[in-house]
Amino acid sequence: MGSIIAMVELKNISLSIRDKVILKDFSFRIEKNKTTVIVGPSGAGKSSILRIIAGLWRPDSGEIIFNGENVFRMTEKGYNAMRKKIGIVFQSNALFDSLTVNENILYFLPERKSLTDRELLGISERLLSFVNMEGTGYLYPEELSGGMKKRIAIARALAFKPKLILFDEPTTGLDPLNSEAIIELIEKLKNKGTTSVVVSHILNDVMELGEQILFINNGRIVETGTIDKIVTSEDPLVNRFFYQLNRHNQIIEPGYKKYELINA
Amino acid sequence: MILSFGEYWIIVSDLISGIRTIRENWDETMTEMYLLGTKAIPLVLLGGLFTGVILAIETGHQLKIFGATSLISRTVSLGMVRELGPVVTGLLLAARTGAKNSSEIGAMKLSDQIDALTAFGFNPVHKLILPRTAAAIIMFLPLTLIADITGILGGMLIANQTFQIETALFWDTAINALKVRDLFVGFAKPFFFAFFISTISCYFGLRTTGGTSGLGKNTINAVVYSSIVILVIDFIFTKIVWEVL
Repeated sequence: MGSIIAMVELKNISLSIRDKVILKDFSFRIEKNKTTVIVGPSGAGKSSILRIIAGLWRPDSGEIIFNGENVFRMTEKGYNAMRKKIGIVFQSNALFDSLTVNENILYFLPERKSLTDRELLGISERLLSFVNMEGTGYLYPEELSGGMKKRIAIARALAFKPKLILFDEPTTGLDPLNSEAIIELIEKLKNKGTTSVVVSHILNDVMELGEQILFINNGRIVETGTIDKIVTSEDPLVNRFFYQLNRHNQIIEPGYKKYELINA
Repeated sequence: MILSFGEYWIIVSDLISGIRTIRENWDETMTEMYLLGTKAIPLVLLGGLFTGVILAIETGHQLKIFGATSLISRTVSLGMVRELGPVVTGLLLAARTGAKNSSEIGAMKLSDQIDALTAFGFNPVHKLILPRTAAAIIMFLPLTLIADITGILGGMLIANQTFQIETALFWDTAINALKVRDLFVGFAKPFFFAFFISTISCYFGLRTTGGTSGLGKNTINAVVYSSIVILVIDFIFTKIVWEVL
């Protein structure tokens, strides 16, 4: 484990909000060029981990090492520069409703002021094409469906070529076709070697995306490893969780000790 | 939610430390100048006009008892420039700008847009509050001037039509009644009002929690606190002017 290059390393992270323990002595390494899926029951602390990595929440104790640098020893300028290396796709998309799709995508671009309108449009069109949303640049977020908004949020996160992309419940609330489109986009990034962290409790996402899976509950790691290791875990909570997720979908074979994707 | 001075001070000091970033956010500042300032002109015109009209009617009838209706112009011009122009404009803008800032930023907070700004390496105080505060500081003085002038014109209309005072005489007396001290008091207030209305309403926006009902409560708080602060600042100014200057 020590020899694998880590993009982000969380060391003994603890976080409490209004006396409620969210994370307790949490340590984990997010490997470079891999997709890590964080899975677990609601309230387990999944999104909190993303918010800590994104620099939105500061833990009570512990260290975060990003690309070999301790983020808490960085200056404010350095910390903001680090944040620009991380793209985040919020569960709510967090698109600016008063801005068009083009403006949303280009809003965070650091070189925005030094580029011509034509160059900026070129960047936006390239990103829109990547997320299969060509020709939507002049629409406003309220004119888009949930799946389209998610794709624009992904395009926005990719605009400044981040080293790490965080996805908070990327397919929650989407219909199966839109979910599939989002999964395909994340897979496209995965094939390009982008480091991603996906928070999800949707079995299909875990199965299709997870190269490194982290099962957490009550702010602690219950199980970690590949999908094979997770679905064959002896831990009763992990076992029950995947059994319930699989009950209707039948993605994992009955008995849930072995698994196989339908039509794989 | 009540205003926490500690949290409010953190935002204000962050705002002051980021003053240099105003150049980077000049486009947003111009947009806000239009939304907070230009679009508020009709409201301020009406507010100023009716304040001047009412002031002239009320004082005119009292002064008539003593045969001193010629003093209406002096009362209206001093009343408008020193007190009612800035305060009425301040209260109208506390409602309009305060509600706008608080609800806009509050909705952005609830939909993770503020977190998106932070996560992508931007300071929400510099990006959202600074342009709004700068726009308010720039625009509140011209708006107050509009209220003052329309108020005096409204008073002149009443003085002429109801109390048969010549407009030229009214205008001449009204202008001559104003001293530098009066202009200083009347024109300094809008800067303070603008600063506090903007920072208080943005503070409540940034602290919004609890969904739509929380947004509603914070919008009310933004308007109420801004209005109270305007009255308190006005009191302090009046006290200083009469007792110190």
